[in-house]
Amino acid sequence: MSDRNTPHLVCPRCADEAVSTVTDSPVPGVWQVLQCARCLYMWRTTEPARRTRREDYPAGFRLTAEDIATAPEVPAVPPLPTR
Amino acid sequence: MPYDDLRSFLDTLEKEGQLLRIPDEVLPEPDIAAAANAAGRIGEGAPALWFDRVKGFTDARIVMNVHGSWRNHALALGLPKDTSPREQVEEFARRWDAFPVAPERRADAPWQDNTLTGDDVDLFRVLPLFRLNDGDGGFYLDKAAVVSRDPDDPDHFGKQNLGTYRMEVVGRDRLALQPVPVHDIAQHLRTAEERGEDLPVAITLGNDPVIPIVAGMPLRYDQSEYEMAGALRGAPMPIATAPHTGLDVPWGAEVVIEGVIESRVRQIEGPFGEFTGHYSGGRRMPVIRVERISYRTDPVFESLYLGMPWTECDYLVGPNTSVPLLKQLRAEFPEVRAVNAMYTHGLLVIISTAKRYGGFAKAVGMRAMTTPHGLGYVSQVILVDEDVDPFDLPQVMWAQSAKVNPREDVVVVPNLSVVALAPASQPPGVTSKLIIDATTPVAPDVRGDFGTPVKDLPETAEWTARLRTLLAGR
Repeated sequence: MSDRNTPHLVCPRCADEAVSTVTDSPVPGVWQVLQCARCLYMWRTTEPARRTRREDYPAGFRLTAEDIATAPEVPAVPPLPTR
Repeated sequence: MPYDDLRSFLDTLEKEGQLLRIPDEVLPEPDIAAAANAAGRIGEGAPALWFDRVKGFTDARIVMNVHGSWRNHALALGLPKDTSPREQVEEFARRWDAFPVAPERRADAPWQDNTLTGDDVDLFRVLPLFRLNDGDGGFYLDKAAVVSRDPDDPDHFGKQNLGTYRMEVVGRDRLALQPVPVHDIAQHLRTAEERGEDLPVAITLGNDPVIPIVAGMPLRYDQSEYEMAGALRGAPMPIATAPHTGLDVPWGAEVVIEGVIESRVRQIEGPFGEFTGHYSGGRRMPVIRVERISYRTDPVFESLYLGMPWTECDYLVGPNTSVPLLKQLRAEFPEVRAVNAMYTHGLLVIISTAKRYGGFAKAVGMRAMTTPHGLGYVSQVILVDEDVDPFDLPQVMWAQSAKVNPREDVVVVPNLSVVALAPASQPPGVTSKLIIDATTPVAPDVRGDFGTPVKDLPETAEWTARLRTLLAGR
């Protein structure tokens, strides 16, 4: 994954600022695919504002740090056998 | 003549007028998903959609809605495109009887032509990925088949599983995977994780049209999807050995992705708009580390839109859910005439049955709930008489409106199992279940005034054919 940070952006979904570039359009300069390091949300810069801008991102899909920390495991990690 | 790859099937769809090439340049989002969503809204007979002018990409080839109408589903099974849903289900059930048909191992798979390994592995270099629904957490692979083996019995061909599971692209070489605990791959993963081992997987994209049908089919744990594909094709399924994992994969795939599910790792996944017509997500799920990608030259990326039904997903899992239920019910109750389990992968099922004696139809309904698939689905059953077509919904509604006396004919059983994705379950995974007996009571159940039904005239069948001929000849 690219280390190129774009600090002026925030994640539309969780508002974290650790956003990095995953890939650039094969035709140079048309779009980038970005990703949030915390909630892993991934988006393309040419998507509608409802998917790319924090202020337009629907409340029902937003995540908080607590949502991520308390998310259930599916499937649960099984116990290791005791030796 | 069965299809050995996606490309040959797309040729047939085009010749039959069932593939529409979109001539204009489109945006990856929201255009591709919106067009595939719209295919489900333009009525029956919708075509597959082909996109090769996608903004920002230099050589994208994307196909959507390949199975997204009764016509396309019929053609996938090698049937005439005007075959009715009921006839498709009956033919599917007839071919099932040939199971198992051993696969044919072939060399020189076309996907061996191009390979990415090591630091070159990059899903974005091979696949023109895009988002489907607004709330999706990222770009998904939702029509791929995932192959894995039972770590306790790796040489058992039948226990090798091929299934469709949603996968979110979470990096250039990383995918999140949803193995619901009732699915076979979850058993494989559990065994591997109990040993602290990674689970090797092969993911095949852009398959011949029978593979997506068998990959979403509720077969028994030790039944081979490849041997079922052979039965449905009427010819052995061509397979090849994946070079990195040694897993058996379809010979004709466009792309084969190999790697491992990392042992005992979970990370945030989703949400994803699911087949229930609702999102599910916000859970920590297993992660695949991609180690090798093999692909045909100029690969075709096949994907599927799903959302509020009906979409392609409903055509794809409608017949392949109805047939196992029909076979399992008929094995014990030969009176069962037809099963329509096409609503949300069989959360609601309509069964047509003759009655052995009073109360019999309700027993058939309860049995449907206790089949292997029924344990996770079948939360509502409507029973209709043997002369009612369960695929003809106006006729089913007539039967329900005329035959049901709610106090005796509606039964609710509390606290039964269902998939946790079922939006009405509470808590997730537990639900009450409903039987509506819309059959005519028979002795010793003597309720109601059903003694003099109006039947179709004896000459009506002949006149139906005559009218069709006259209409066709105009």
